[in-house]
Amino acid sequence: MGKMEKELREKAKELLESGEVAVVIGYGFNRRKTRVTPVFITDPAETDKLVFNALCVNNLSIYLTRKYKDVQRIGRPAIVAKGCDIKNIVVLITEGQVKREDVYIIGMTCEGVAYKQELLKEKLVPEIMPVKCHNCDVRNPHVTDTVIGEKSDFTPPEEPTGMVFDKIKQIESMTATERWDFWNEHFTRCIKCYACRQLCSLCYCEQCITEKNMPQWIETSAHPRGNLAWNLIRAMHLAGRCTFCGECERGCPVNIPLNLVNQKLVLTVKNAFDFESGYDENVHPPMIVFKEDDKESFIK
Amino acid sequence: MPRIGVFVCQCGNNIESTVDTQKVADEAKELPGVVYSCSYKFMCSSPGQEMFKQAIKENKLDGIVVSACSPHMHEKTFRRASEAAGLNPFQCEIANIREQCSWVHHDPTKKVGTAKTMDLTRMTIQRLKKNRDLTKITIPVTKRALVIGGGIAGIQAALDIADGGHEVVIVEKEPSIGGNMARLSETFPTMDCSQCILTPKMVEAELHDKISLYTYSEIEKVDGYIGNFKVTIKRKAKFVDESTCTGCGECWEKCPFKAESEFELGLSKRKVIYTPFPQAVPNIPVIDKTKCPKILKDKCGLCAKVCGPQSIDFTQEDQIVTEEFGAIIVATGYDLMPKTRFGEYGYGKITDVISGMQFERLASASGPTGGAIRRPSDNTEPKSIVFIQCAGSRDEKRGVSYCSKICCMYTAKHTMLYRHKVHDGQAYVFYMDIRSGGKRYEEFVRGAIENDGAMYLRGRVSRVYEKDGKVIVQGADTLSGSQVEIEADMVVLATALVSRSSATTLAQTLGIGYDKDKFYNEYHPKLKPVETVTAGVFLAGTCAGPMDIPESVSQGSAVASKALALFSSDKMAREPITAIVNTKTCNACWDCVNSCPYVAITKEEVKDRRGNVVRMLAKVNDGLCQGCGVCVCACRSKAVDLNGYTDEQVYAAIATF
Repeated sequence: MGKMEKELREKAKELLESGEVAVVIGYGFNRRKTRVTPVFITDPAETDKLVFNALCVNNLSIYLTRKYKDVQRIGRPAIVAKGCDIKNIVVLITEGQVKREDVYIIGMTCEGVAYKQELLKEKLVPEIMPVKCHNCDVRNPHVTDTVIGEKSDFTPPEEPTGMVFDKIKQIESMTATERWDFWNEHFTRCIKCYACRQLCSLCYCEQCITEKNMPQWIETSAHPRGNLAWNLIRAMHLAGRCTFCGECERGCPVNIPLNLVNQKLVLTVKNAFDFESGYDENVHPPMIVFKEDDKESFIK
Repeated sequence: MPRIGVFVCQCGNNIESTVDTQKVADEAKELPGVVYSCSYKFMCSSPGQEMFKQAIKENKLDGIVVSACSPHMHEKTFRRASEAAGLNPFQCEIANIREQCSWVHHDPTKKVGTAKTMDLTRMTIQRLKKNRDLTKITIPVTKRALVIGGGIAGIQAALDIADGGHEVVIVEKEPSIGGNMARLSETFPTMDCSQCILTPKMVEAELHDKISLYTYSEIEKVDGYIGNFKVTIKRKAKFVDESTCTGCGECWEKCPFKAESEFELGLSKRKVIYTPFPQAVPNIPVIDKTKCPKILKDKCGLCAKVCGPQSIDFTQEDQIVTEEFGAIIVATGYDLMPKTRFGEYGYGKITDVISGMQFERLASASGPTGGAIRRPSDNTEPKSIVFIQCAGSRDEKRGVSYCSKICCMYTAKHTMLYRHKVHDGQAYVFYMDIRSGGKRYEEFVRGAIENDGAMYLRGRVSRVYEKDGKVIVQGADTLSGSQVEIEADMVVLATALVSRSSATTLAQTLGIGYDKDKFYNEYHPKLKPVETVTAGVFLAGTCAGPMDIPESVSQGSAVASKALALFSSDKMAREPITAIVNTKTCNACWDCVNSCPYVAITKEEVKDRRGNVVRMLAKVNDGLCQGCGVCVCACRSKAVDLNGYTDEQVYAAIATF
């Protein structure tokens, strides 16, 4: 047990005992200790279940949304969150889904996590980290009630690096037909399991547009036409909001490269509006804010 | 099963020439739900309407499709007729087969036009099947008008509304109403003195029992919507009690301190306690708190000592008042282009280069020189004056791209005034084009040239500089093809008329749009020239673009008629084309709230019986909503829909293909 875990458990115990929070949402080992799963600690005696290590890739912020009413019903939560998870919490606060004072954020400094847990043998090496870790600027969490862990002195590279960025450049250089074929090939595989949506903390709608049936805008069967519509609409719904946490791609059972879409959206919004989501809860995503002095340069 | 009637209009030959309307009617009859169809020469004519109503009653129709011209033209006509025949008017839909079909297709065999008309009609029929009965929204109307800006347009609007029997408040930021017109000497083309025709109106506004003047005041905040605006007004401290002040003038006579006069545009000084000009309305002075030593460092206070009725009150503070209005009239007028924009003309550097408005003050009988034309530098009579037109106007690179419209006329007037006052003086005018459209305007300009000897030179001025007490003007005379150099005593620039520097702030406060030059946007430049996109907010005068006094006055009267029409009944009816929120699926993410251009959506708390907030919901204010549909697009869970254009209706129309 590392120093961080000890601190985390103490903090969790203190929070639960004092009654400041009713539940601590964190990570715990599975039985064989090969993976971590979300745990919901309500009993101060059970805080020893909490762990924090390179396996903790999951984004727990999803448990703050209205999708998990049973978690909401327990009471005020404390959440164990890495910087990247906090970005999502920030968006949830911006969009009125969580009130800042209604959640206790235990910020964890982080030196990166493993993209696929089975790849983690002994030590965490950059090769098995997701792209977001390579370019992470929130290893020291930015919106917190308490911070656990030593300060990280990692500085992200000036030009973001990683496979995703190379691939985006490659796709950008394709012709429209090639791009169409590329995406169609991927989207054809989609089985409409909606894992991407279920894992995404920003997909918090109680009724998703795909469930709207009067009229039914998106075909629900796993048919290429409906698949394309679903994936495009989901991308548009996340434009300017997605924090590139990578959960949707990680959860996709048919390996659709959703991170490409997400990262492209992040880049587009950054270039067009100089906005990145997840940093300031008082700034709304640019796509949904009416401004008199909007440049409207995108209308050609 | 619905009972739908389809009425296909031939529009004389407008539609019939490329569409076989009888065939469309026959085919439409075969569609499910359609029980009646016909084709007629002019559906909008009286016999057409009669037939329309008759058919509804005889066939017991419950839905109507009129395939005819744009709904902009006759939707209201047919909805009214449907209502008269006992239908809900919103069960009547128009398929636009003229502007969107017959006029754009020129196939004489009628094949293309007929097929497309059939498509459009079929779409509308399917759409109609999803229509719901809608009822017009009624909103109570506060029968009071707010006029922002007390210039001639605002005064005219206020007088006309007040004469119609309704209360008006004029908010003016200066200590007196009158605006820019109060500065003018004479006015074209009749050459009557500006003050002489303006002051009676100013006084009439002051004395009118329905008009309240809030001078030295500014708009802070505007809430609400048509018929129900709540406006917060800041009444700046005048340090003079308006109720007791008699306007005797003792205070400003005795005040020992002076400051630059804003009204005289720097040509003379005013006192620190002052009225901007002698005919000011109300004739009550204000103290310039940025200059008054009593307020700044508690010294002097002479005005208070000499004031008979003891009206001076140095402790006065800005007052914030909130009042309710039904209509808002924006008549904020224009600014002059700032000096810094005219480097090549030496404006701002050479004392004897002045603006047209400054010349007005020199020529005005109540101006700093008492109406004598004098050089600002040495107070001598100028024997030659060069007038430069289009100073800043029609100059996309350094000035503004538009024509300021009034300069050709007032420059001609200036040359006349100059000749009338200095008989041996020579006026030169550099111009690009002379634009004198208007009743007796061209004759006026000809008079300046032919009777008053103004020398008009077509060309631009390249440089203006000072030499031996003269102002040298170098320019081109393109008609003779030569370069000219004129030794003038004075130069007058016809500076561009620009929007108010505060225009954008006010536009945002009111929720109205403005163009690239910050002039306010009309709802429609031709057909709704005084309305704005925000219902209940109207425009009058130069805040919407350059115009002369007659136009400003007519706009003042025009907005008054709009306001009076609004005030003609206690409640106003509005089209129910507004957004609705599905309370079951709203996620309270506030995307609709943030994206609404009209601030029509609010956050509503849903409480349980104990008063605890259980959830939040978006709520549309029917009075404010303009039915633009931005929120419908913004809502990710499709919890917002637009009455009259619901997702179901649009989908049904698309699904016919």
